[in-house]
Amino acid sequence: MIAKLISNMHFLTAMVLFLIGFHTMLTHSNLIKKVMGMNIMETGIFLFFISVGYVRGGSSPIAVPGAEGYINPLPSALILTGIVVSVSLTAFALALIVKLYNYYGTVDADKIMQLRGGEE
Amino acid sequence: MNHLPVLLVALYLAAALGLPLLGRNKKFPAGLFAVGVAGCGLILAAASAWHVAGTGTYSYFPGGHQAPLGIEITIDWVTVFLHLTINLLAVLVLIYSTADLSRELGGGRAKTWYYSLFFLLLAALNGIVMAFDLFNIFVFTEIGTIAACALVAIRPKRLCVEAAFKYLVLSALGSGMVLLGIGLLYMVTGYLNIGAMAQALPKAFAMYPWNVLVALSLFVIGLGTKAALFPLHVWLPDAHSSAPTPSSAALSGLVIKVYAVAMARIIFQAYGAELFSRIPVPDVILVFSTAGIFAGSVLAIGQTDIKRMLAYSSVAQIGYIFLGFALVTMNGIVGGILHIFCHAVMKSLLFLAAGAIIFKTGIRKIEDLAGMGYRMPLTMAAFSIGALSMVGIPGFSGFISKYYLAFGALAADRPVYVAVILLSSLLNAVYFFPIVVRAFFGHKEKQMTWDRLPWAMTVPMVVLAALTVILGILPGGLVRIAELAAGAWLN
Amino acid sequence: MNSVYNYLPLWATLFPVLATVPLFFVERRSAKIRDVFAQAVTGITLLLVALMYPYVRDHGVIGVSYPGILPPFGISFRADILGFMLALIAAAVWFLATVYSKVYIGHEGGGNRYYPFLLLSLGGCLGVFLTGDFFSLFVFFELMSLASYVLVVHEESDAAIAAGYKYLILTLIGGLALFFGIVIAFEVAGNVDIAPGNLLFAEPNRLSFIAFLAFLVGFGMKMGIFPMHVWLPDAHPVAPSPASALLSGVMLKTGAYGMIRVVYNVYGPELIAAAGWDTILLVLAGITIFLGSAVAIAQTDIKRRLAYSSIGQMGYVLLGIALLTENGLTGTTFHIFSHAMMKSTLFLAAGAIIFKTGTRKIKEMAGIGFKMPVTLGCFTLAALAMIGIPPLNGFISKLILSMGALDAGKPAFVFLLILSSLMNGIYYLPIIISAFFGVKKEERKWSRAFSELKPSMWIPIAVLAASCLVFGLLPINLPLKWAQIAAKALLGAGN
Repeated sequence: MIAKLISNMHFLTAMVLFLIGFHTMLTHSNLIKKVMGMNIMETGIFLFFISVGYVRGGSSPIAVPGAEGYINPLPSALILTGIVVSVSLTAFALALIVKLYNYYGTVDADKIMQLRGGEE
Repeated sequence: MNHLPVLLVALYLAAALGLPLLGRNKKFPAGLFAVGVAGCGLILAAASAWHVAGTGTYSYFPGGHQAPLGIEITIDWVTVFLHLTINLLAVLVLIYSTADLSRELGGGRAKTWYYSLFFLLLAALNGIVMAFDLFNIFVFTEIGTIAACALVAIRPKRLCVEAAFKYLVLSALGSGMVLLGIGLLYMVTGYLNIGAMAQALPKAFAMYPWNVLVALSLFVIGLGTKAALFPLHVWLPDAHSSAPTPSSAALSGLVIKVYAVAMARIIFQAYGAELFSRIPVPDVILVFSTAGIFAGSVLAIGQTDIKRMLAYSSVAQIGYIFLGFALVTMNGIVGGILHIFCHAVMKSLLFLAAGAIIFKTGIRKIEDLAGMGYRMPLTMAAFSIGALSMVGIPGFSGFISKYYLAFGALAADRPVYVAVILLSSLLNAVYFFPIVVRAFFGHKEKQMTWDRLPWAMTVPMVVLAALTVILGILPGGLVRIAELAAGAWLN
Repeated sequence: MNSVYNYLPLWATLFPVLATVPLFFVERRSAKIRDVFAQAVTGITLLLVALMYPYVRDHGVIGVSYPGILPPFGISFRADILGFMLALIAAAVWFLATVYSKVYIGHEGGGNRYYPFLLLSLGGCLGVFLTGDFFSLFVFFELMSLASYVLVVHEESDAAIAAGYKYLILTLIGGLALFFGIVIAFEVAGNVDIAPGNLLFAEPNRLSFIAFLAFLVGFGMKMGIFPMHVWLPDAHPVAPSPASALLSGVMLKTGAYGMIRVVYNVYGPELIAAAGWDTILLVLAGITIFLGSAVAIAQTDIKRRLAYSSIGQMGYVLLGIALLTENGLTGTTFHIFSHAMMKSTLFLAAGAIIFKTGTRKIKEMAGIGFKMPVTLGCFTLAALAMIGIPPLNGFISKLILSMGALDAGKPAFVFLLILSSLMNGIYYLPIIISAFFGVKKEERKWSRAFSELKPSMWIPIAVLAASCLVFGLLPINLPLKWAQIAAKALLGAGN
């Protein structure tokens, strides 16, 4: 059991990271922390994806003579796109936070809710 | 002719990139350009539909690499139906926006940016409905999410920014889940292509049932968040009500539906109706969509702001679409697909009419709308048509989708959902009729004045109202396309 | 069959609906042209309906269908003797009410909104009677209900708006229930056509019972059957009087017509009797008759009293439907006709009194008979018919209904009918007595006849009142004959 867990450590780590990120995003009222949680969650997913394509002892997927097994390049390629998406999401979220700070003078979601009050 | 749908996305992407450059010239008529581009998009979509009607559905492989190695794009009837819906609505909403945006966004170059974002959104929406591999769906979803959030945040009001942030965070959560789900499925099948996955999944399900099931629930929750499936709708009322009116119309009318379609495509075409029905996920979706239908309607009754009320009504209406899909019967899915179109038309109509009232009078409170039928008769007539259609009065398009949903529920041997649909119609009446009644009756002042709106606002409303009525009486063609689309999903 | 006459039901239904478009443009120019135009439209509609008669008589059924509109049901038009008879009544009363409206609405104002919706609801009402399937019936039913909402709230007082809202929501519930029933019927039978021998349900199971209840709620709501009558006493009195006459005199009958079709064309009397569902109808009919008549006595507002009386009368109609005998059905059909004539007379006459004196309170109407002899004469005639005094038409319908009750072996209902007649007497006679004898002898001065009202107001009242007398006396009673043919055809359909 333990050995199985250790051999699948990357999956376990990925899930732990995902949950930490998820938890941070939902429970923290600080907007910056929400964005950080979002990044942690996505990192967890990226790690998971990369692990799917990882072959123990495999070489990088470049055709060189004498290589035994290749690491599946597809997940890595996909995650490259995923990282781009994540970066743009982060950038956009941070830009919104800057605007929110300008409007409300705080980056705390609860305080913003209070300030908002009954506005429609 | 096979390239048309792909050109559609390329056109919008190019327009999105080109607009900021062209907009550097202060005299550049951004609105006219936007309407023109969307018009071209509609023509492309119509030509593509014509082509499909002539030669049948097909798969398109960019670069000529065959699936599963290459990327597959499917041009089936669902795609055609959604392309027509999206581009038709886009043209009308953009025409409307040329008159409305200056008020909502202020001067400067915001308008150019707005159109750029709008085209980005359109590219994403058109892309999602034709992508046939999971990763492309994900990428287009993300483009759509960012563009949609930006379309809310662009209005220089603090509420909009706050709503957009909420929308963004919840969407990002959803995206994360979808990506994780894709990873889980890729892990056990080795494919991203939906067609190839459909063949590999039964075997994979036998070996790793948990992977497959967890992935399914992640898709349902992830895409459900983006599609505002109750109880994941919390972002919607703020975002849709505070956005500029054209954004509200597009977000409520199109964006949430496209995510529902993406979910349905994964469920029906990757998992297959059989595997999907073997596990109780349809029942779960049925329960949530029913809860959404009632909760959305009840919350809408309590609203005082007209755009917020319409936003809550969208929560209820998206419930109908999911309800139809989750019934997993021919008529149910037909009803769901039809409701995508009907609701897109009537909710856009309602949002545009509400926006026109706000544009002209600044009134957002429902109680202040009394006598509005005399001040803005045309707008209120359009609003009334939309409202009657929402309630499901025969002769209006909303009725058509409702009776297909009712048949679907009976065919699935669940008459209780017929009762749900009928009861919710009544709830719709409870929040829509008082507005209509108070606008026309019981007001002291009887002086009738004309709306005096810019024609760019009047024309889209009139077209949408006409569509609601015409399709309410002669829905034949629409129903046939929906039946073809549903047929592809059920097999 | 493919002759031009097959299109008559279609044209009779669509003509008033389409005529609202030119009316919309005409009414802005002049109120006079508007009134004449509306009268002409209803007159032509009446003519179109009447033209059907020779062909309905010879062929039994005429009609066309358009399956392409609103699939999968399609829209179809069809007239048999029952549908034709009710459509003729509707068109005739509508025409008279439109003539009457000229002065009444001219005085009240708001005609530019009133007339288009008057025509729309005529189209909807004729559509209900002249369609060949339940789905089309439902569509026109909703059209009529929604269009008549505007007639109900015409005065736009707070009471009217409140009553209108109640009417709207309850009508909607009725419409949805009806739709529920139709969907189930379509799912079970594969079609919802109204045709002899085309029974949609074969056995009394849970689903067909649910559908039956749905139909009962849907049509019962419109009929004002207990306990779905709550909207009626509010909505009918607040409407302008010609609209009240139409609501009470004709539009209630769409529900009755629907119930006849449900019992005899959807389920068939055998199934209803075997399942024992006629008991439900009989009990409801009994309660409705008693309740309507009893509560009417307590009313002080003349129009409210008439509205409650309508509830009681619709109880008679439901009773006749539920008896499942030929005489019962004949009586029901004839009573639909009689009640249309009597209640329209009463409402129009009450409207004339309100128009002239401005009061709706019954006790303030003492001596009115001398001021408005023609109106009160007609009112008296119709009221006597309501009570069931021979030889008026109300007597005939009650007589046949009683025979039907005896045929069915339910003599209790004969007593109920007599009791209710007594109660009718209790609430109608005082009005008449106080109108003619409520003042001292020296104050009884006859005003000059016919000057009390403009001819366009008193002629419709007089025509309707005369029909109460004529169709009771005449040796060749055409409506009665039609009612008998219709009853035979409907019962034959069940066998």
